[in-house]
Amino acid sequence: MSIVLHRSIVKIQTTKNIMAQTGKATTEKQTFSRTTSVSIDIHAARAIAWKLLTNAPDYPRWNSGIISIEGNIAASQVIKLKSKLAPKRTFKLKVTDFEAEKRLQWGDGQGSRIYTLTANGNGGIVFSMTEKIGGLMFPLYAKYIPSFDQSFEQFAADLKKEAETIQNLKK
Amino acid sequence: MTTELFNEEFKGVTGQLKSYVLRITASVQDAEDIVHDTYVRALDKLHTFREASSLKTWLFTIASNLAKDNLRAQKRWVENVTDICREEALANPQFFGEAMQIRTESPQGAFEIKEHIAFCFTCISKSLPLEQQLCLFLKEVYEFKVNEIAEILDISEAMVKYYLHTGRSKMIHIFDGRCALINKEGVCHQCSELNGVFNPKQKFQEEAMKIEMVKEAESGGKEHLFDLRMKIVQGIDPFESGAAVLQLHHLEHNRNVMEKYV
Repeated sequence: MSIVLHRSIVKIQTTKNIMAQTGKATTEKQTFSRTTSVSIDIHAARAIAWKLLTNAPDYPRWNSGIISIEGNIAASQVIKLKSKLAPKRTFKLKVTDFEAEKRLQWGDGQGSRIYTLTANGNGGIVFSMTEKIGGLMFPLYAKYIPSFDQSFEQFAADLKKEAETIQNLKK
Repeated sequence: MTTELFNEEFKGVTGQLKSYVLRITASVQDAEDIVHDTYVRALDKLHTFREASSLKTWLFTIASNLAKDNLRAQKRWVENVTDICREEALANPQFFGEAMQIRTESPQGAFEIKEHIAFCFTCISKSLPLEQQLCLFLKEVYEFKVNEIAEILDISEAMVKYYLHTGRSKMIHIFDGRCALINKEGVCHQCSELNGVFNPKQKFQEEAMKIEMVKEAESGGKEHLFDLRMKIVQGIDPFESGAAVLQLHHLEHNRNVMEKYV
């Protein structure tokens, strides 16, 4: 019985992962926080996706949601990000985790965003992005923060398109 | 490989090596020194050459490493290099005096629009990060394959593709915004200005329309126009062409200006 149950759980989790890698964003809301995630399969070398994620001045060229990123995306560095979702604001973010070609995290007092690259077993990669925002005052201002779902899906789609274009360049 | 055979094959590659290093360094002196040092180093290490790659690839590897060492301490140029250098040239009567003398006296002192397009590409490409510039020249001008460029620059093929794509995208964007030959709104008219100075009797528009890139400017897509621009660069040897001395004088001027500016 327990084996059957265990298999069912594994099956559900696997299905969830496969669905999640199609680039559809999901948001989980809690009283003091909100977490948005997206995952997508990319048929490109990990190094290409990593370069795209860490080359700050190049973002506006391929990422339709970013107006600009100033600074150096590297361990412990501070960057200034302007996004189309909130074009009047400049987010000052600190890079808090930087593991080459695997994991990148930046954030501020209100939240943090994590990017990960993992092998997908088919010679490509899975790109995942999660952002958690929140805090004790979160319930007071939560309704003023727009949904991230669409911008997350666009980010993942832009990265996939650009990385795969580069991967498929003529040899 | 015997020394005799090496010398013979080196001679065949020298022209390409020299133009490559010139385009990377923008310095005639550095190009000559680096090509000389490439010869000396290659001859010294000839016993290590396993012929797994072509001699040309091996020589470009040595030259690229020497050029990278040479450029390590130097800052990259800026996208609007031609605007800045134009202002400096206009304020410097000596520059035009020398250029006019070259134009009238040197057998390689002609002013040709195509030559200026190639010269302009060299200058603006120096605003790219070095890896992008190297990949772009090696692929688009010297026709190396991605795997050969990976070997020359000692980076992965994925990174070669990344640098090629980003370098190419950036150059397309710059020329689309600047070059009046392909965009009526382009801010740079130096080809026509200089043609007016050096070839006052020539009708610029007629001359320009002989160039495929200009002819196709309105109908061709940005990628295609860039390919045509690269064909122009590929077809010109900056040391041997009929306009070489004039353009090298111009390049030397721009390098001196940029060294002070950046």
